[in-house]
Amino acid sequence: MNPRALALWSLSAVTIALATGNPVYRVVVLLCALNLLVVMRRPGTSLRGLVIALVVAAVIAMAVTTLASHTGHHVLASLPSGIPVIGGPLTFEAAAFGVATGLGIAASVLGAASLSVVLQPHELIDALPAALARTGAAVGTALNLIPGVARSAVEIRDAQRMRGWRSRRIREWPDLAVPVVLTALESSLTMAEAMEARGYGSGARTHYAEQVWRGGDLIVAVVAAVAAAVFVGLRIAGVITDWYPFPDLAWPHVEVAGVMCCVALTVPLLVWRR
Amino acid sequence: MTVAANVSLTGFRYWYPNAREPALNGIDLDFADGIALLGGASGSGKSSLLRVFNGLVPHFHGGMVSGSAKVCDHDVVTTTTRVLARRVGFVFQDPELQSVYAGVDRDVAFGLENVGVAATEMPGRVAEALERTGISHLRGRAVATLSGGERQRLALAGVLAMRPRLLVLDEPLAQLDDAGARALVSTLGELASAGTAVVVAEHRFEHLAGLPGRRLAIDSGRVVDPGERFTTRISGAELRIPTHAVPTRAGATGAWGLTDVATGPAGAPLLEGVSLVGRAGEVIALVGPNGGGKTTLLRTIAGLLSPISGSVERAPGRVAFLPQNPMALLHRPTVAAEVAWTLRAGSLGRDPGDILRDLGLAHLAERDPRDLSSGERQRAAIAAVLAGAPDIALLDEPTRGMDTAAREALCRVVATMRAAGSAIVIATHDKQLVGALADRTVAVGAGSARELTTVAVA
Repeated sequence: MNPRALALWSLSAVTIALATGNPVYRVVVLLCALNLLVVMRRPGTSLRGLVIALVVAAVIAMAVTTLASHTGHHVLASLPSGIPVIGGPLTFEAAAFGVATGLGIAASVLGAASLSVVLQPHELIDALPAALARTGAAVGTALNLIPGVARSAVEIRDAQRMRGWRSRRIREWPDLAVPVVLTALESSLTMAEAMEARGYGSGARTHYAEQVWRGGDLIVAVVAAVAAAVFVGLRIAGVITDWYPFPDLAWPHVEVAGVMCCVALTVPLLVWRR
Repeated sequence: MTVAANVSLTGFRYWYPNAREPALNGIDLDFADGIALLGGASGSGKSSLLRVFNGLVPHFHGGMVSGSAKVCDHDVVTTTTRVLARRVGFVFQDPELQSVYAGVDRDVAFGLENVGVAATEMPGRVAEALERTGISHLRGRAVATLSGGERQRLALAGVLAMRPRLLVLDEPLAQLDDAGARALVSTLGELASAGTAVVVAEHRFEHLAGLPGRRLAIDSGRVVDPGERFTTRISGAELRIPTHAVPTRAGATGAWGLTDVATGPAGAPLLEGVSLVGRAGEVIALVGPNGGGKTTLLRTIAGLLSPISGSVERAPGRVAFLPQNPMALLHRPTVAAEVAWTLRAGSLGRDPGDILRDLGLAHLAERDPRDLSSGERQRAAIAAVLAGAPDIALLDEPTRGMDTAAREALCRVVATMRAAGSAIVIATHDKQLVGALADRTVAVGAGSARELTTVAVA
């Protein structure tokens, strides 16, 4: 697969997810993105952390909206009005709006996550324009350091624990944090030294793997771009309407054309194979 | 036209930023081809000198220089490292921090990309470099899945792909097992025969002793005559430690034990069916190839890694653990404070100066551990974990980066601890250390750990 085609698909998914507050479209985009990640993720890549983080973010968004928005006719419960911000009626409409917000966050993040979950960092870097090649290489290197820093953090924790460090005492946390930070800084310097020694920054860079466009890549890019453009066009034209549950909750209005645009995001699964 | 390495340093002096004393103090050196082996004590200036060859000193590290230094007909002082990189390849001590990209092939190609080699030419050069370093089978692998030894060879492949005229290696054998070390030495010999000049700084010369070429020694920032003292050490002399009596096993008490243990990181068994017992007053050496599971076994004994099955027992008392990376331990402003921290955390009423003296670190007691050479850091880390005579001491590659004198000091400390009743387990590739200290040797690899009847280090 061509990383630029996937980047275009990702941009299209995020655009559709953010172009409307309608939870139906957002659910379809979310399912398409999740399907892509499950089927096309890099071997050995776990989605567990991403999904947990998304669920947490969505729940927080829903909770904040429910607690802070006191509009709506269907009252679920009431908090004493003396409590700042969250005091007042908690409504079913606010909770529904919170769900739609959470879905929007989840669909957008999953759409963007395809770039990091499906592609190797260097594939993404290679897809950057030539003017950003050096920056991209630096970013890629920094990304490559992250697993090492995580490993060294575990190693440092274990080593300090064996010397008598106890995680229960807050005042002892600097004994863990300081070596982790210092080691990360030192690793960065060593990496920079190694990059310099291998000619980094000596002139125009070339790429080991040229990224070629194949027929499938073109289909994905064109279909995704057209889907996003049509969806946004229909939204501007008022054919696809937004959804607002206040003051009375109502089912979101769904246009078949809008759903078709969202469903078109499944195209990578039809033409690409992992 | 091939450009000769033509290394020429005349009266070269170098001061690190804010340093009063020069790290390199009047270096005069000339060579054009072949192999040069560079020996010297920890902190003598080996790494600084190597960094002159590709301009990291002074361009990356800053500081002041005087005198002249030319490499491949370039003036090092006026030519940046990134330009010299086209002629000079440099392999650093720590292979983990040389991998720029996540994939093996791509990482080897990194230097080629930097100097603008055509995309059509790169695959051939990558394949050639992988072949030359004996890791063609690693093509397509993720760098994160490689062992330390494989990573060392990957780092070398990345440098060789650029076809350097001068190849500089800073302690390349530090993490290699016996087979890896032999393969590397063979590769270096072939490169030298093919016209590449090679400079190797090392403490472990037992593998390099057979290589032809010059022997250089550096002492206090000066290149000195290797002389008999250095020649003896470079040829791989045995460690000199006091003789010790092998403890009487019958009376020794068990300090730790593994019963039918399966263990490995992330719940995947790397070792299975391991049953071992360690006794008080005994040194056990764990030997075996890179990636064989020595560190995993140490961590399991330490209790840092829970066994997947089987049981681990430890007698009550303090357990000390030295990880491979000494920087995992060092975070206090001075070496003495580092040792004092361990003693305070363990409520051990000892004098930090004792272990510092034993390990030859008394003169570094007030230095910041992060300003020390790699060998000195390693000793500081050992002092930090062994302070206060632990009941069980687990040491992972303790002689990494150490010169002979430091290794002998370590041997003395371990021998003293053994005499005092500590149970000690050492994971190492250092044959001499095993020969000097081990009461029992356990081979770890191929999914199991078994006791050897005779000492054989892989």
